[in-house]
Amino acid sequence: MNTGYLAGDLRALRAAGLMSLRQIRRYPTNLFGTIFWPVLLPAVWVLMGQAYSGGGDPEALNAFASRAGTTGIALFVFIGYLMYMWLSALLWGPGTALRQEQIRGSLEAVFLTPVSRLVPLFGPTLTNIVWIVADLFVMGLAAWLLFGVVLPLQGVVLAFAITLVGVPAMYAMGALFGAGVLRFGEIGPAVQFTRGVLSMLCGITFPIAMLPGWAQATAVAMPPTHIVDGMRNALLRSASPGDLVPTAAALIGLAIVFGALAVVVFRWLEASARRTGMLGRY
Amino acid sequence: MTTGPAVEVTGLTKVFEKGRRTVWQRLRREPDKRSKFVAVNGIDLRVERGEIFGVLGPNGAGKTTTLRMLATLLEPTSGEVRVLGIDVRKDPRQIRANLGAMLSGERSLYWKLTARENLEYFAALYHVPPKETTARIDAALVAVKLTDRADDYVERYSTGMRQRLALARALLPDPPLVILDEPTVGLDPQSARDLRDRVRELKRQGRTVLLTTHYMEEADQLCDRIAIIDHGEIVALDTPAALKRRIRAEEVVSLEIGMTGEDAPMLARLANSAVIARSERHNGTLAVTAHCASARDFVPAAFDAARSEGATIQHVEVVPVSLEDVFISLTGRALRE
Amino acid sequence: MDELRAAVAIARKDIRNVSRYRFQVASSIFTPLYQGILPALLFGASFAVAGHVVGLEKTIGTQDLAGFIFLGGVMTGLVATAFWSMAMSIRNEMEAGTLEPTWLTPTSRETIVLGRALGGLFWFAFSQIAIFAIGMGLFGLRFRPEILLALPAVAIAIVAMVGVAYLLAAVVLLIKEANFFIDCTNYLFGVAIGAAFPITLLPGALQPVSYLLPATYAMDLVRQQGLGTRPLLDPALEYVALIVTTAIVFPIGLWAYRRADGRIRRLGTINQY
Repeated sequence: MNTGYLAGDLRALRAAGLMSLRQIRRYPTNLFGTIFWPVLLPAVWVLMGQAYSGGGDPEALNAFASRAGTTGIALFVFIGYLMYMWLSALLWGPGTALRQEQIRGSLEAVFLTPVSRLVPLFGPTLTNIVWIVADLFVMGLAAWLLFGVVLPLQGVVLAFAITLVGVPAMYAMGALFGAGVLRFGEIGPAVQFTRGVLSMLCGITFPIAMLPGWAQATAVAMPPTHIVDGMRNALLRSASPGDLVPTAAALIGLAIVFGALAVVVFRWLEASARRTGMLGRY
Repeated sequence: MTTGPAVEVTGLTKVFEKGRRTVWQRLRREPDKRSKFVAVNGIDLRVERGEIFGVLGPNGAGKTTTLRMLATLLEPTSGEVRVLGIDVRKDPRQIRANLGAMLSGERSLYWKLTARENLEYFAALYHVPPKETTARIDAALVAVKLTDRADDYVERYSTGMRQRLALARALLPDPPLVILDEPTVGLDPQSARDLRDRVRELKRQGRTVLLTTHYMEEADQLCDRIAIIDHGEIVALDTPAALKRRIRAEEVVSLEIGMTGEDAPMLARLANSAVIARSERHNGTLAVTAHCASARDFVPAAFDAARSEGATIQHVEVVPVSLEDVFISLTGRALRE
Repeated sequence: MDELRAAVAIARKDIRNVSRYRFQVASSIFTPLYQGILPALLFGASFAVAGHVVGLEKTIGTQDLAGFIFLGGVMTGLVATAFWSMAMSIRNEMEAGTLEPTWLTPTSRETIVLGRALGGLFWFAFSQIAIFAIGMGLFGLRFRPEILLALPAVAIAIVAMVGVAYLLAAVVLLIKEANFFIDCTNYLFGVAIGAAFPITLLPGALQPVSYLLPATYAMDLVRQQGLGTRPLLDPALEYVALIVTTAIVFPIGLWAYRRADGRIRRLGTINQY
């Protein structure tokens, strides 16, 4: 960002965030969705786990524990689904904000202003955090009420800390996705595919140990993998703060890498758009 | 099919309720306190076979609501509607089998299909006999001059071409009656002129055309008769020439008068030699539209009146009477307000 | 004959339309695989002891995890077809402006849903064949020959789902947040029929709902015949229940759709978006 315009860009960033907050209020089903999906999706998978484990057969549970590091199926699933909800909110929100502006025809209008191009790219992420906090609360409550899961206090604090450390990495990843989807079109399929692949790679609904070696190696390069693993360590495996330092370091490193990639891709696209007139078309 | 009028409407009314009644209110049989909006208020209409009949009015006048009731898409609140001799309530499907309608233009086409594929689809929905489908599609494409682009995806068409394709679809059932809702809205002048030519061709083929428009020039050029509708009521119905004669004027004079005093004395002096159709005051300028038998007589009188009131005539314009002037004289405001 | 021709034309139009979105076609095969089937397989396999899914055998009487999941996917796919391709697509057409001209034709409104059902079922069959081919090639999917005895159950379930589609179409034509409604109810329906796990694992208060749905019996019959799972009820009784519930659901759906049609014609909302 040009420092001469910094104050203006920060004000614009705030305005972009307020605009997305306003839009949240105008779609009440978004609020209902915040309660419905974070409860239903993991609950179904917990019941699937009960089917596959024969209702708690010791042999089956031990087999699961050898791969997942825990017999706590319900919390294992709920943590995974928290990441799933975060991914959904990220990809559908900030991840597709630019593309949606392009489809609406307002991207050109935004680019006609002197605001930094990075404001429309990162602006909507600010209100996205509202969803995640809401999901955290709803899912914790659901796990307790439906499946009797009691969360350890230290675990909750550490899980929350890992989430905060992971925020820059997640949004950098979202920005890279947003820059990419601007070029390649169909939002729905892109979100479904990306979310699906990340769900498979990052141990959201099953232990990563079930994946082949090459997939496990790829998973290490994804921020959701570390966040999910860190939260499971904190809540299911009684990890101490020291145990989570490597996870935090990985997340910070990934934030820098993804963030830099997003800016590079976006700048390249912007230059290409100025040459080809692509911004106003889709 | 009888040989009576194409459309006959008596006391047609459509009332919409604003807001919703909850299930709880219905179960408790609470009185319906919703406010009502009368979109169409007891109109009578008769469209003779073979004519081009226009319904002219501003946005929100009730034109589209009326058309939708004729097309069986909307249920009237009360009144009698017969289309091609058939009661719309008794046999709507028979009406639809003989009616060609173009209501929402380009939005009503499948963009990922070609023009021909769109028409094949609708031919089946219109129950066009399979043996006749190809011939009817070809004829419809020829009628709207889209034959050479028939196998292109609609998403590649211009707005004008999509409007023409929508008209082609309306012709598939070989309908004796075609209804068009604002057929040229959104088109550039050339495309609009093209579409109007297609409409004239429909009349030459012996079809009846009922169209709505808020472009008075279009109504003037195309229609044999016009109904002027405002606030859900027909305020006038006649040929364009007869409507213009109604206001007993041959010419319309527009004046801009610079003045500082009250409007009333000035208007009273002008009214001695013309009918004041409209006046508007913006700061120090009084804009007046007057209908007169002869501008040659009225304009000097206007200058005399201005001098007497200490005012200055800044601008004078003389135009022939148009339907807009008819509308203003009947409703007190312009078509485009 | 005219109505049948119109229904076929609607199906052809839908098939043509969808086929021109190649990504969507590929998505219809791969999305169920990577979003549902593969994660479920890997999750289920994480409970396996020396390659044997002993827990599943204890629950339903078979260790055939892939068969259990893939057959669940069939019914999920059929349900999704009814919810999205048959019902929600009508709302989508309404918002796009293409429903109104179809209502201007003499083709009956019921035929319009039926036509969409035919088109939707084509893509359902197409995607299921592809998914099963992948299942057989990559996951060793095999079924007992008796699975053919369950085909009538699938056919009756299709009729039932068309009835459900009429009911859903009635709702989505009238409510504001139709997309959200369909999304939620589609998922709930799939859960309730036992596609993801046996309905005996549902909370007691919810199980009666499952027994009211025709697709629950079709799901169970297909798994019984294909995999040899423990049945919910006696198979003959399940067939009777399937037929009876279908005979109830279909006319209710049709009645609701006709009511909605009348309401839209009174309100004039056919072209609102």
